[in-house]
Amino acid sequence: MLGQVVISGILSGALYAMVALGLALIFGVMRIINVAHGPLLMLGAYTTYFLYSALGINPYLTVPVSMLVLFVVGVLLERTLVFRVVDAPELSSLLLTFGISIALVNLAQLLFTSDLRAVEYLTGSWVVGPFALSKSRLVAFVFAGALTGLAFLFLGWTKLGKAIRATSQSREVAMVCGINVQRIHLITFGLAAALAAAGGALIAVIVAIQPEMGQIWTFKSFLVIVLGGAGNYPGALLGGVLLGLIEQVASLFLTTQLSEVVAYVLLVVILLVRPTGLLGGRQT
Amino acid sequence: MTRRRAALAALAAVVAVLAAYPAFASGYGVRATLQVFMWIVLASSWNLISGLTGYVSFGHVAFFGAGAYAGAILVAKAGWPWLPAALAGGVAAVLLALVIGYPCLRLRGPYFAIAMLGLNEVLRALVSYFEGLTGGGNGLSLPTLDATIPIYYAMGASAAMVTLVTHAIITSRFGLRLMTIREDEVAAEAMGIDTGRHKLYAFLLSAAGPGIAGALTARDQGYIEPISVFPLATTITMIVMVLFGGKGTVWGPVLGAVVLFVAQEVVWTRYPYVHPLLFGAIIVAVVLLMPRGVLGILQIRYRLPRTI
Repeated sequence: MLGQVVISGILSGALYAMVALGLALIFGVMRIINVAHGPLLMLGAYTTYFLYSALGINPYLTVPVSMLVLFVVGVLLERTLVFRVVDAPELSSLLLTFGISIALVNLAQLLFTSDLRAVEYLTGSWVVGPFALSKSRLVAFVFAGALTGLAFLFLGWTKLGKAIRATSQSREVAMVCGINVQRIHLITFGLAAALAAAGGALIAVIVAIQPEMGQIWTFKSFLVIVLGGAGNYPGALLGGVLLGLIEQVASLFLTTQLSEVVAYVLLVVILLVRPTGLLGGRQT
Repeated sequence: MTRRRAALAALAAVVAVLAAYPAFASGYGVRATLQVFMWIVLASSWNLISGLTGYVSFGHVAFFGAGAYAGAILVAKAGWPWLPAALAGGVAAVLLALVIGYPCLRLRGPYFAIAMLGLNEVLRALVSYFEGLTGGGNGLSLPTLDATIPIYYAMGASAAMVTLVTHAIITSRFGLRLMTIREDEVAAEAMGIDTGRHKLYAFLLSAAGPGIAGALTARDQGYIEPISVFPLATTITMIVMVLFGGKGTVWGPVLGAVVLFVAQEVVWTRYPYVHPLLFGAIIVAVVLLMPRGVLGILQIRYRLPRTI
């Protein structure tokens, strides 16, 4: 029983980590909490759903397509709206992304209706010894792990990735070093939207989707960042797995309704006891 | 000074008309005005925390819902009269604000905003879970009572009270400290302001009004369920009202509540699916194009005092 819980927790934890990494990147580089992160994930899920149901493409092959589409959406949002509030007080950026998030959710409701839609592709479980592994969750874990790994390779070893980390450490110094900070903001926002879209695409195969699915992901991604420590990108990995484990353990003792409450209580307690996150401060 | 006197006279006239209104109005008129009062309470309360300190509350409807459930349970299960139950609804909302605000407002940054984003869902889950007390998803029915007109006065008094409190705060040193936190929290700390405590006080004040309004609305409608008292749309509407009218002012939220409520009744009910989309667009547009709202623009153009 405990083994099963640990496995399920780690499986969903990788997904949390990937989606939260996007939010953490925007927060680290632009100092903005993007409230529309979850709704962008929702758009990614719908992209996959329509590619699958209308064109019959294998949903796992649509993951890069969804990422690309949402990269473009993210870049457009940054270019037209978000860049205007980068240096504004927090109130402006929070309200602006909140407005964007409401507009996206309601636009989706208008265009796609609020019907639940499912990508019925990979159902059932593989049984390995005493454990049952949900097929779609396992594949999602592999994808999320690989994409998160790629993201870290990108941040750690490429010139662009280093520029992103430099901007997140100090915008002024990055500028002095000849980094085009506006361009970095643009790419970061697009990248974050793409990571959210990958999450959405993978979730669409696991559970039925609807326009309001995203909001809870904004909240959970933020919780992951707080767990790992804001501005600390590897912390997102730890935070994601931890949130997955805690939710699974909680679901052993509580109804599904209350396991949502557990995540919330966790946030409040962490803020009370250790507001800098479990791994501590900023280290990029 | 004469301008001030004229404004006070006009205000007294408006209050007198509203007080006499139920005597000659239609049922619909009373109900609609009651709704406007409710929106004034909600918008002005949101303005107290978010407009004055700059800390955005994305879940203020949680206090409305908490007050509604506290009031409804006291009326339905404990047989309280509605007026003390409404006050108890306000107290319940303030207690909830204390539990959330203490850990989240000690910190600078977006923690508070995100914590409020999740609060609503949590309360909805809790209400559904404790079925014995709240009736769960089936909702909670209150004994029938036709009290629309007394509730009209109670809600009107609440709206007046919140507006008066806002005026008192904005013209006081306490209000100046809150606005200092909004403009530059580090500077506020350096000047010796206990920012955590000030933010918490503003937050507690901002929870009381929605709690009372929630309990009054529950009594008036006679039936509540989780979906009806915790809708995200209510938070969105109060935010839009304040931003449109002018955040951080006394009369901005009132202006926003009246104008947007009328617009909603007259125009947008015909397009039920477009109007939430429009609200999102209004938030984006106001933040980018007129961050001070309508009243803020008027203040600058006509050199009105900062304290209106």
